[in-house]
Amino acid sequence: MCTMYCPRPVVDTYNERLDITRAPHIDYAQAIPSSYYIDAKACLRVNYQTCNLCAQTCTAGAIDFTQKPKELELEVGAVVLAPGFGRVDEKVLEKFGYGRFPDVLTSFEFERLTCASGPTEGHIVRISDQKTPKKIAFLQCIGSRDETCGNGYCSSVCCMYAIKEASVAKEHEPDLDISIFFMDVRTMGKGFDDARRRAQEKYGINVIRARVPRVDQVDGKLALTWTTGDGEHHSALFDMVVLSVGLESPKDADIISKVADIELNQYNFCRTSVDAPLVSSRQGVLVAGAFQGPKDIPESVTQASGAAAIASELLADARNTQTITVTYPDEDKALEEEEPRIGVFVCHCGVNIAGVVDVKAVRDYAGTLPGVVLYEDTLYSCSQDALKSIAEKIKENRLNRVVISACSPRTHEPLFQETLRSIGLNPALVEMANIRDQCAWVHAQEPEKATEKAKDLVRMAVAKARLLSPLEQPTVDVTPSALVIGGGAAGMSAALSIADQGYKVTLVEKNRQLGGNLKRLTWTLDGQDAAKVLKDMVKKVKGHKNIEILTNAEVESVSGYVGNFTSTVSQGGKTKMINHGVIVLATGGREYKPKGYAYGDSNRVLTQLELEEKLARGKGFLRNAKNVVMIQCVGSRGDDMTHCSRLCCTQAVKNALKLKEVKPDINIYVFYRDMRTYGFYEDLYREARKAGVKFIRYTPDRKPEVIKQSRGIKVRAFDELIGEDIEIPANLVVLSTGIAPGDNEELSKIIKAPLTSDGFFLEAHAKLRPVEVAVDGVYLCGLAHGPKSLEESVAQAKAAAAKATIPLAKGKVAVAPIVSKVNQDICIGCGICESLCPFSAITLQKVGKRKKAQTITASCKGCGICAAHCPTIAISMGGFTDEAIMAQIHAFSPDGCEEA
Amino acid sequence: MAETCKQFLADCGINPDRLSLEWASAAEAPRFVELITGYVNSIKEKGELGSADDEAGEATIRRRLKAAVVAAQARKPRTALGNLSKRLHKEGDFSKDAISEGVSSKILPALRAERIKEELLLVLKEGEKDLDELSSALSAAKEELEKPLAQLQRKGVVEEKEGRFQLAEK
Amino acid sequence: MVQENVVEKEKEMAQKGFEPRILGFFCHWCCYAAADSAGVSRYQYPPNVRVIRVMCTGRIDTRFILEAFRCGADGVFTGG
Repeated sequence: MCTMYCPRPVVDTYNERLDITRAPHIDYAQAIPSSYYIDAKACLRVNYQTCNLCAQTCTAGAIDFTQKPKELELEVGAVVLAPGFGRVDEKVLEKFGYGRFPDVLTSFEFERLTCASGPTEGHIVRISDQKTPKKIAFLQCIGSRDETCGNGYCSSVCCMYAIKEASVAKEHEPDLDISIFFMDVRTMGKGFDDARRRAQEKYGINVIRARVPRVDQVDGKLALTWTTGDGEHHSALFDMVVLSVGLESPKDADIISKVADIELNQYNFCRTSVDAPLVSSRQGVLVAGAFQGPKDIPESVTQASGAAAIASELLADARNTQTITVTYPDEDKALEEEEPRIGVFVCHCGVNIAGVVDVKAVRDYAGTLPGVVLYEDTLYSCSQDALKSIAEKIKENRLNRVVISACSPRTHEPLFQETLRSIGLNPALVEMANIRDQCAWVHAQEPEKATEKAKDLVRMAVAKARLLSPLEQPTVDVTPSALVIGGGAAGMSAALSIADQGYKVTLVEKNRQLGGNLKRLTWTLDGQDAAKVLKDMVKKVKGHKNIEILTNAEVESVSGYVGNFTSTVSQGGKTKMINHGVIVLATGGREYKPKGYAYGDSNRVLTQLELEEKLARGKGFLRNAKNVVMIQCVGSRGDDMTHCSRLCCTQAVKNALKLKEVKPDINIYVFYRDMRTYGFYEDLYREARKAGVKFIRYTPDRKPEVIKQSRGIKVRAFDELIGEDIEIPANLVVLSTGIAPGDNEELSKIIKAPLTSDGFFLEAHAKLRPVEVAVDGVYLCGLAHGPKSLEESVAQAKAAAAKATIPLAKGKVAVAPIVSKVNQDICIGCGICESLCPFSAITLQKVGKRKKAQTITASCKGCGICAAHCPTIAISMGGFTDEAIMAQIHAFSPDGCEEA
Repeated sequence: MAETCKQFLADCGINPDRLSLEWASAAEAPRFVELITGYVNSIKEKGELGSADDEAGEATIRRRLKAAVVAAQARKPRTALGNLSKRLHKEGDFSKDAISEGVSSKILPALRAERIKEELLLVLKEGEKDLDELSSALSAAKEELEKPLAQLQRKGVVEEKEGRFQLAEK
Repeated sequence: MVQENVVEKEKEMAQKGFEPRILGFFCHWCCYAAADSAGVSRYQYPPNVRVIRVMCTGRIDTRFILEAFRCGADGVFTGG
């Protein structure tokens, strides 16, 4: 209402100034807090003491112009800095025509254009003439890898987001011709290279390796000229140019630094070190996200959890001293027992659903179904205000069953269950119809059929809802300890954090010694002595009273569930039973063993790790060395493994610099596909180039060859710039071999944790749950999750520790009420269920004279094998009763299907 | 369960490949899409229920399914299913042959017997029939019908007059 | 006559493009999750399947399958 009545238009900054809103507004539907706020700079009342329309029209009386800013003083034990990143100055963008030519956009602006709830509802139009462009160019590294603007570092995220934006645009406008101008394609995140390949293949996005120096406008079109690696000049006209702007330190970094009394690095980001990536220079002040260095969402979320772990370590003594318990109103049992009064809410999910499915038609259809007393559509059912409104409507209409027709119950059911609980209804009385993940998204080209399917799914959900009944909410106690599998840097960091937070840890390492891959590292990427980092870590772990170390040990079996796992660990022929509440997987990875490149045939061919080991022993082996050749992506990126190993580029650069340091006149050639020295590692890359290291690009179809000769070896490779093969006699060939997954298959089966196609463990959700595994109570960190640097492993280990201690700290876990229930009047005590239950969760017990089956609620997983095999149909499953499933089957038939 | 269903579907005159049991883990979305697309196409080829080459006519199938659902609820075949699962579980033998053999020797006969009993009633509901007609309607040998018919007669549900059977009037 | 009918029916179906009605029973942890993930990745597949979520394929009773066919399913897909 306030937005509607406000006479004062203001530019919508959330939508990158591409739209107009009013002084009182909310940035977007899912914003938190989900309340409207007034732009004080624009408000007539605030500035001129006039108007006051909004305050008068607000029916809730929520606008109070007498409020004044308040200063609060809080006593805290730790501070986490997470101010995010700043924007690249518009001056930097000007040389690319930004501000002068309307169709030059930043990637932020383009993101809003591609967004369904953005100013153009997802239509991509030129700002100048509102027409759909035909040719779009993305220019990478705007304000990144550019010393002229002071940002020498790589922003790490722009390559991938440009590919994403281009893909989304192509999905919306399949005829678009999109080119992306890269210097290097830096898609080194987990699964990113796959996504890049798909985008190139599926959408035909052109990848051009060139840096475009400037943008000009010719006849309303944008003219670009560039030079490719073969020295050729090109030029072309585009309808739109998107500048992939980088991430800067926050504009007020200096102020933050002063206020928090912390040190910044040369680029004004928070200074941290490799072995303590989340800790600032001041004790108790922690940092997470882009303020620590440019990074993407999964890493930011990981760091945030990691910082929470460290804060929790600092606050371990104060745990549970200021807790508030959530209380729920008593259940309205009388209402629950009444005839079903069903409410159906059909979600648009922006255009995610409504773009394909005719939501209004589905809503009206729901109204024709028996038992439905309320049927509505909502824009985003899961947004805070929508949930509130759903709760109100349930109350107003005295609903006792609710059907949410939206996304997947796997992700969103708990949210709606909570809504029911908050107003005194049993959470089991909600049913979801999945018309997004399993309908709109997968039938995008067939809107009519998708709408039919959505109606059918709603009909089936309503049929089930009629038969839902309230279920009890059992909880079980938690064993307050953790099992950490793997004693490398990640495992030790996780164990230390959990132990410092006050819980017992059993650390299992299969080798004789702790340390994992860190044992083989000589220097960390920031030049620290790796052995010292390792020694410190091992010392802390060994000296910790909460940590029990089992070396030469392997986990053989794991049973139970979150809060109550029992594992058997074999150690030197003996097996040991361990009870624990959570599991952290930190099983590491291993150096890829190269095939070909004369590795193993010649002692002059080494891996990067082997080179480091040699260097650490002294520089004698370099005495007669003139030429060193390094070859990147050996094993990685489709060579043998499909993934990018993420850190080999930086490792190669680091070692090249080390070689130059000990022997300045040595010639170093690095053959690479894309140099992926992301973040501040870009400094090392620039330093190496300045030091004279030669970097030569190769393509996968023309890999360098290592040729063994009678005396020595030579490397033959194609040089794009001169257009012919070159040969380099090499004293040393160093292969940048990637990181291969460890032997994860066995453990994956034991824990039932899925692996990626590359053989690493799969996280529950790449962005939202990056250190959790699909199995409750199991967490993930280090190389077991995917290739990453020591710094990233440590941060991720802290994050896994933070997540792992949540159930431990809660002390109780809720058991899903979907357990089996035996009707002992019908049970004949045959024992079939007992022998078939995979979780030993049902047993025969004497009741009176006869034996009857009984469910052990805490162990039951609700699989329903017992119910399906009961001869007398005496077992029913909570939330999945025979009657409910049968009703769904009957409702599957469009004209209903009478009982047999 | 799947094997039981498949054998029982075939027994009812339905192409057993209309039932598919596949596995796709949470991590295997592409595999899922492949499976589901392949499966939908295979059903498209078969056509509507009852129109595939090896299937009984639609009306027959509908009637049989009605009887089959009741049969699947009966205690005897369910006990047979439970016991077989229990035995296989104990022996740890989940080979296709063991399951298939177990189902066809232990469960299917029980299910078929129940199904025939039910279907007799459904067929007789449509009007009186002699043994030949019943045999062809149920695709069952006359000998197979004797026992259930006798049972139904004993219960007083079915009457026989001059070789023709009909539902007893109540 | 019967033969003609069949031919007729086939023709009719070919013209209409037969769209089978298929009921799916998906395991919450596996196939249902895979189907969600297919959605997230925007993979496209035919819209003929209606899904009933169960916590495990072990839950599926013989009766459910038969009942599905009785209620007009041309196929039943159980996904573990």
